[in-house]
Amino acid sequence: MWNNLNRVSEGCQGHGRLSLMEEKSRVLLVDDEAAITDNLAPFLERSGFEVVVAANGEDALRQVTAFNPAIVIMDVLMPVLDGREALRRLRRAGNWTPVILLTQVGESSERAMALEEGADDYLNKPFDPHELVARMKAVLRRARPGQPPLATASRIASGDLLLDRTSRRAWLAGNEVTLTPKASALLEYLMTHPDELISRERLLDAVWGWEYPAGTRTVDTRIAELRRVLGDDPSEPRFIETVPGQGYRFVGSVEVVA
Amino acid sequence: MKRLALWAISLIPACIGATVTAALALGRLKNPILYLRADIGTLSLLLGIGISTLLMLALGGWAWLEHQHNQKMTGTISQVSADRRRFLQRLDHELKNPLTAIRAGLVNVGNGDAPETMSSIQTQVQRISRLTADLRKLSELETRPLERSAVDMADLLHQVFELAQERPEAETRRLSLQLPQAPWPLPAIPGDRDLLLLVIHNLIDNALKFTRPGGTVEVRAFDDGTVVVVEVADTGSGISEEDMPHIWEELYRGQGARGVPGSGLGLALANAIIQRHGGQIVVRSRPGQGTVFTVRLPIKG
Repeated sequence: MWNNLNRVSEGCQGHGRLSLMEEKSRVLLVDDEAAITDNLAPFLERSGFEVVVAANGEDALRQVTAFNPAIVIMDVLMPVLDGREALRRLRRAGNWTPVILLTQVGESSERAMALEEGADDYLNKPFDPHELVARMKAVLRRARPGQPPLATASRIASGDLLLDRTSRRAWLAGNEVTLTPKASALLEYLMTHPDELISRERLLDAVWGWEYPAGTRTVDTRIAELRRVLGDDPSEPRFIETVPGQGYRFVGSVEVVA
Repeated sequence: MKRLALWAISLIPACIGATVTAALALGRLKNPILYLRADIGTLSLLLGIGISTLLMLALGGWAWLEHQHNQKMTGTISQVSADRRRFLQRLDHELKNPLTAIRAGLVNVGNGDAPETMSSIQTQVQRISRLTADLRKLSELETRPLERSAVDMADLLHQVFELAQERPEAETRRLSLQLPQAPWPLPAIPGDRDLLLLVIHNLIDNALKFTRPGGTVEVRAFDDGTVVVVEVADTGSGISEEDMPHIWEELYRGQGARGVPGSGLGLALANAIIQRHGGQIVVRSRPGQGTVFTVRLPIKG
């Protein structure tokens, strides 16, 4: 897993490197636990970011204006103003700075709420710091300045595949397809992270909310189900590509549908 | 059913009284002597009704007391499980932050001049991280809604069996899977495929861990029309009598499990998952001979 993650982050670095040479990406790290920010900030700095720390949601909103970060990493449970409410206020003010929330979005109810919140990605504590950097780079690479991210769009499409995330229904060439809840959540995660190599472990954590024994094989089973339903040929994928020994990647281009 | 029978029995004295009265009343037409005894008829009717009423009152009171007691017990049980759930959630939350800080700190330290110590600490931190995730899942299992789609049990068992065959222990143990073909293959059951796979995976994992090289692990399944039965049997070390009552408890590790890697949550998770599916999981074991775990899952949810 360690190796996979390093490879993932190297894969992402290619894009980010030019801009990093010009100026470091600014990151706002928000957590009320000093033990976390004290240890995470130096690591993020060594990974090529300029870091400012905030201890709660209110502090974070002030820093977003003052520091103008490229990305915000925010815990959820915090005193004064929690992460969810801070994010909601930020989005209501029309600010689309990419945000990674440090919480779990495992169940469909949580995912529905996440869609409204407008976070770009989620990471469950305790996480591997390398995984956080890989997520940050992927989010920054996907971000379109000033525009809502794919992660907050309720209807997205790739070619003739349409996914309505609010009603959790999918259509292929106009015909509705039936997916199990897990397969549908998996498709949603892949489509909202297009062109990104995602390890099986990460998919387990993000979609199942749990990295458990025999779980990586479960991911393969659901991918096979998705391919069968979507008529996707693994040797010539339109949607999901297998990256041998590493994970999966959604190769179709994804657009927001009004 | 029993309750209904008792209520019916309590009506018998009233019925007897009524029958006597009716017999006397009918008899009166033919036999004037009996007419004189009409008050005995009335008496027996009143007595019958009286006894019946007393019996019914007693039954009612008893039922009421029992109901009160049950309510109190149910209340206590749900209170205990709610307390336990809250405890697990708090434990998860209180461990998450320090673990996050430790993992970030470890990356800053790098390998330094004690790479073996560092890698050992990394492994242990990951172990605690996994344990907290498993504990959280265990508490979620009791409350969150279950995904229910038709699970092809034969397909699931084939898959989990293939996984088991890939393990190094499988090379030196006889591992077999028996699935019915005649008169029909296993029916599908409604449930969460991923969780059910985890159950069987944990059972086979245990069987392989506690069986010596040369031993046998058999996985077999059949259906009896109402349930699908899956058995995972081994010729392993068995479970001692002292351990037996505790094997389903969270974090319990039996005497035989010392020195065998594991979290002590595998069976607790399996039990919780099977309960949520409305099924049963039972174990029979003879120390020194082996163990068989039997899972029963209802075909209709």
